[in-house]
Amino acid sequence: MRQFFPVEDLARDERFVQTNMAERIKDPRVPGGGSAKKKSSRSSTNKLTPDRHDASDRARGLMHGIMVGEIQALEGAGRTAHDFDAGDGSGDTIPFALKLDMARQAWDEARHVEISAKLSTWMGTELGEFQENTVLFEAACSNDPVLRLAGVNRALEGLAIDVFTQMKEFGDLAGDPFLEFCEDWMLADEVTHVKMGSDWLRKVTENDPDRRAKALEFQQVVDKLFSFGGARGDTAESSFQLARRFRELAGFTDDEVETIAGLDQQALVERKAAINAMQAAVADS
Amino acid sequence: MDNAVDEVADAVIGNVTVTPGVFRNVRFDAAELAALVTELAAESGVTNPIHIIVNEATPLAKLSAQFDDGGPDATLVIRAESGALENTKQLQTFGRERAAESLGRMLLRARDRMRDDFADAPPDRQLTLAQNAAWDAYCAGRLARAGHRVVPQRWRYNYRNRFGFSDDVDAGFERLWAAEDLGFADVVAEP
Repeated sequence: MRQFFPVEDLARDERFVQTNMAERIKDPRVPGGGSAKKKSSRSSTNKLTPDRHDASDRARGLMHGIMVGEIQALEGAGRTAHDFDAGDGSGDTIPFALKLDMARQAWDEARHVEISAKLSTWMGTELGEFQENTVLFEAACSNDPVLRLAGVNRALEGLAIDVFTQMKEFGDLAGDPFLEFCEDWMLADEVTHVKMGSDWLRKVTENDPDRRAKALEFQQVVDKLFSFGGARGDTAESSFQLARRFRELAGFTDDEVETIAGLDQQALVERKAAINAMQAAVADS
Repeated sequence: MDNAVDEVADAVIGNVTVTPGVFRNVRFDAAELAALVTELAAESGVTNPIHIIVNEATPLAKLSAQFDDGGPDATLVIRAESGALENTKQLQTFGRERAAESLGRMLLRARDRMRDDFADAPPDRQLTLAQNAAWDAYCAGRLARAGHRVVPQRWRYNYRNRFGFSDDVDAGFERLWAAEDLGFADVVAEP
């Protein structure tokens, strides 16, 4: 069986159309249209809450994003279980117990795909109705398994914690009996996946501080990318929040959480500057 | 939603005016949009002039429609955020099915407003979220029966989010979905 699978070769049927982060950041549109929110606006933040006029459609879009993210997480964990030989963790090997954890994670993600697909149907979404952003799998393509742990388990699955917390809250407020319940169960799995990443990253790099530093640096790059230009953050302009408590349970230190919050804020500032530049260029054309 | 389109020339095609006439942030074509609006207006029985104003500065999908005065030849002004008209598989491009579903609802609302028993209906922007959800269900059902591609579960979920997740609420949705000749009070009645 082939090892090290490039993102271009992911198997999808004709319903799915893929895009990537480079394409998405070229879109100069912003939710508020570049103007300040009116005081009379029903929603004073970008956060997904049931009192938004577009609540159900926004929730449908986010759920579809979760579903394709689960597919890619399944593919990423499966690749990591298969791509590297069992060994002591040095070089291109990973401990056999880490392979088992990746296999367990792949099993979890497969279940999450099924749950998310059923939730999408429940919410009135057709599979493939929205573009699939492949940024998640791209983070799982590193040749170094430790970088995959940092990028996928800690950054990607950390993002899943934030998003699932948001969706769980949405389901609870809306009174949706299935959404809140399903998100809660999947959230528990994601905390476990992040914790596995945190534990294995520390264990495998125990005697290799340089490798650990590179992995954490890579995680910061991915974390900033997964902030989606500040869509995640603690400000009113952010669509979903950093789930600090669950991240703590998943093995993040307070300093690490603050670092991610800082990256989110930085991503928001950079995204706004890029949008302003694009809009100025359009106006001048 | 009112900004970002003022300084751009309109495109006038038949009975339909499109603002802006040339899109910059999205790859929409004013003539294609006007042709779709013309087709939907004929289906809906709306013969008034129509002015569609697209806010291409935002990817959100809010819609509203209102007549510019009370006369029989009043212009129907439809305001649409660009997300309501785009292809969700290829963002920034025009999505004919999605646009037909969005604009078809606005035109059916406009036709409803011509009825005496909709005289008490507040302007679109003053409707409550629940009133919007109920009227959308009523319009989406009629659009589906007119042959447009509509996913009933999308509107059922939207309705449930406003009224609750129960059998009584589902029965209320089915009543609206199947209806053809309701007054505003019937549309917004609690399920």
